[in-house]
Amino acid sequence: MIEFKNVVKQYPNGFRAVDNLNLLVHEGEICVLIGPSGCGKTTSMRMINRLIDISSGEILINGQPNTELPAEELRRQIGYAIQQIGLLPHMTISDNIAIVPRLLKWDEDRIRTRVDELLDLVGLDPDISRDKFPRQLSGGQQQRVGVARALGADPPIMLMDEPFGAVDPITREVLQAEFLQIQERVGKTIIFVTHDIDEAIKMGDRIAIMRDGHLVQYDTPDTILAHPNNRFVRDFVGTDRTLKRLGLIRIKNLMDASPPTCTLDSTVEEAKQCFVDYGAKSVFIVDKDDGTLKGWVDKEELKTNTSLLDAMYEAHWVDIAVRQDATAREALSAMVARGFRVTPVVDRHGKLVGTITLKALQDLVSYDPTSTATTEAVSNVG
Amino acid sequence: MTAAFGFFFLPLLEIKPNRLASGITVNLFEIEGDLRYIALFLLALIALAISFQEKRLQRGWTLVALGNLLIFLTLLLPANAATDLLDGAASLFEEGTRFSNPRIFTSSAIAFGLLGGYIVLFGGLRDLVAEKVNSGVRLFASAIGVIFVLIALFNGSFDIYSILVEFSQRGETLGQRFIEHFVFVLVSLAAGLIIGIALGLWAARDERMEDIILYAVGIIQTIPSLALFGVLLVPLARLGDQSFVNVFQFFIVTLIIGLVVLFFVSRIQGTLPESLRPWAIIIAFVMLFIPVALFTILAITFGFKTVLNVFLDPALSQTLTLVFAGYVLAVLVFWLDRRLDEKRSIRRLRYVRYGLTALATVGFIGLLFSGASQIIGSRQLADISVRNLGVSGIGTAPAIIALTLYSLLPLVRNTYAGLKNVDPAIIDSGRGMGMTPAQIFFEIELPLAVPIIMAGIRNAGISLVGIAAVASIIGAGALGDFILLGVNTTSVDLILLGAIPAIVLAVMLDAILQMLERLFTSPGIRREA
Ligand SMILES: Nc1ncnc2c1ncn2[C@@H]1O[C@H](COP(=O)(O)OP(=O)(O)O)[C@@H](O)[C@H]1O
Ligand SMILES: [Mg+2]
Repeated sequence: MIEFKNVVKQYPNGFRAVDNLNLLVHEGEICVLIGPSGCGKTTSMRMINRLIDISSGEILINGQPNTELPAEELRRQIGYAIQQIGLLPHMTISDNIAIVPRLLKWDEDRIRTRVDELLDLVGLDPDISRDKFPRQLSGGQQQRVGVARALGADPPIMLMDEPFGAVDPITREVLQAEFLQIQERVGKTIIFVTHDIDEAIKMGDRIAIMRDGHLVQYDTPDTILAHPNNRFVRDFVGTDRTLKRLGLIRIKNLMDASPPTCTLDSTVEEAKQCFVDYGAKSVFIVDKDDGTLKGWVDKEELKTNTSLLDAMYEAHWVDIAVRQDATAREALSAMVARGFRVTPVVDRHGKLVGTITLKALQDLVSYDPTSTATTEAVSNVG
Repeated sequence: MTAAFGFFFLPLLEIKPNRLASGITVNLFEIEGDLRYIALFLLALIALAISFQEKRLQRGWTLVALGNLLIFLTLLLPANAATDLLDGAASLFEEGTRFSNPRIFTSSAIAFGLLGGYIVLFGGLRDLVAEKVNSGVRLFASAIGVIFVLIALFNGSFDIYSILVEFSQRGETLGQRFIEHFVFVLVSLAAGLIIGIALGLWAARDERMEDIILYAVGIIQTIPSLALFGVLLVPLARLGDQSFVNVFQFFIVTLIIGLVVLFFVSRIQGTLPESLRPWAIIIAFVMLFIPVALFTILAITFGFKTVLNVFLDPALSQTLTLVFAGYVLAVLVFWLDRRLDEKRSIRRLRYVRYGLTALATVGFIGLLFSGASQIIGSRQLADISVRNLGVSGIGTAPAIIALTLYSLLPLVRNTYAGLKNVDPAIIDSGRGMGMTPAQIFFEIELPLAVPIIMAGIRNAGISLVGIAAVASIIGAGALGDFILLGVNTTSVDLILLGAIPAIVLAVMLDAILQMLERLFTSPGIRREA
């Protein structure tokens, strides 16, 4: 847990880069600092490990002021990764990762195991990368090593200043996803600086929006998107914030999990009964054995046809369904494209698991986000 | 490619049949009808023809072989002819000419021959480089000619040339002068390195000093060496007259005053008006400059005397060889250690290495002490004058100090550039990981600056070899002695006798420093690859 208490940073030239900042970063969460360039994100972050001195106020780490330890000792307990990566070019990858463990005087055997473990964690083959030098790696690989190095001595806290800022957009997406997976395993308390709102929404458990050294809003991504405090935040998150919100929610948390279903060998009567039971306009047809979606049938068709197979529209599930781990945003996109009001939801193997309606999506973004339904849906993200 | 190649060969076409000039009279003697020179000329033509051949590897090897042959023959053939010439000398000169040590001077055609040979050789080597022939093999291929020349040299084939006649007469002093020269360069380089790295570091760290320091060392470089010797003459002579005890007391007193002033100035910095602040600091530094400079002068001159003693005294120089062997062995063990097992270095080998290094270091310190005690001799402390420590207006003292000053520019500038060159993000990440300032300096900045600093050392070393030769003018000894004598007696061979060893020294020094550079530069930041 990291707590900023009335923290001020005034540079010698009188400029207040950070002005009376109060912020509480919860244990095991990723707190994203975001804001326009020059708003004091980096300054705030670097005051935590005292690369920059605080002018007034204090920063508490697990309740202790961060000035209690000598600066170097403090920094060895806090992971540090920056956009420029800053790998030492004259040292091998393993020596780079081993820097903090060596400073902490771990014994060499332990360090060697740790280095291999970390290389594995960030998706590099230890046997191949260990003895290479930084310049022999690609930008993305170097960023991975930068993350591995920050995790070196397993610090409880990590500071990351635009850690994926220097790589191309595709690599960045990959690194972001990988890092979220890593975080799921290691559960660090992370301060993550970025100026990219999409990255903030994707990575942050909470987002702190800053402007001119002030904290403007500090909330979960969904709350920030649903309820921007003021014009500045609204402009900052962008006019497509509704879509961005939908991007945060997984379909499986929104869908109706008891879809109107018949199997391929059902009789017309059984199907008719199904329409009555569910009060639906369409019923989905699945395979009797594995529940794979095979198509659907409309109420009107049943009147003229004597066999269910004749009445149904047959289609591959890939073309008509959305996956349950897709985001609401993806589902909306699919529904708009296909002109469906109701769309079947399937699992990875095409098994029908529910339905989602266009109305449910609309309700979600127009409803009060503090109402229980949405909060539940949002808290289940991930 | 072929066109450029052909261009390279142009000078070769200028080759003439060799002429030998007698140095005593200015007569030219044609060597008549000797087919061997035509052979030489033909060789050059063949080389030219081959250079148009297309197959690169073959062309390379042929050219290297031809080049070596050309070099060797250019030196050997005239020597044979020269012998004939000498035998018949009596009949060539007017009657009554006195003969003592008759000798043959080499003339410019030989130089052309060698030049041509080397052009052919290097042309071939370029091909071999392009064909990625192993560098060891290349080195050997290019050295064959030299090896043959050396064999012939020891065989006595060239004894007829006048430079060797000089050599046979002065060989012993040549060795001593060579060592003097080497020690001059070594000591001034070492002293310059300490001062230069300190100043370079200071300039890189302190923005106020940056310009002052870089400007000051730049100015030193522009002073002609003779003028610098002259400037140093009077103060050093004065200093030499003092007794050591007095100078030492003076040193302590000025040091204390300087430190007090510095402390005082840094205390009242904040209260001074803005315009006075830089001046206060400058005054404090000037005060400190006196004792520091005094100490430096004494340390360098005395250090030089000591090291020279160690090298020249027969007993001490033998020990020196042992010490040196110890260090070389330690480096070898280190290398072996790395080779044997990359992952875990073998403990025992490491102890051997530490042991060797320690032993050699103890020996080295012992050597320095005995060298130093020889200088002081059995004098009582009160009797020791600064002159006894080697400080004097002419001779080695002004020379070694001037050399040290000259070494500063490349050393300071490169240290400064090397440190400034380090990516700030790398230092920031070091700091962010909790490295102390000392760790950042020794584990990040220095290793990253090493290639540039080493380039400065090489630069300084080579130019020092040249400047040290000038130092002979003020009686400092070294190889310049021969050159001076040669200039005074218009004897080209004496000049060469001084110059060739100096060139050899420079090349050797550069090669050794280059090796050290490779040793100290991490493969992660090496230029090639
Ligand atoms: N040493 C300094 N002296 C004066 N102003 C500074 C200094 N360092 C940074 N600043 C200013 O502080 C502000 C905040 O900087 P920073 O925290 O790096 O911004 P960012 O949010 O882009 O990371 C910027 O406007 C910058 O110009
Ligand atoms: Mg920043």
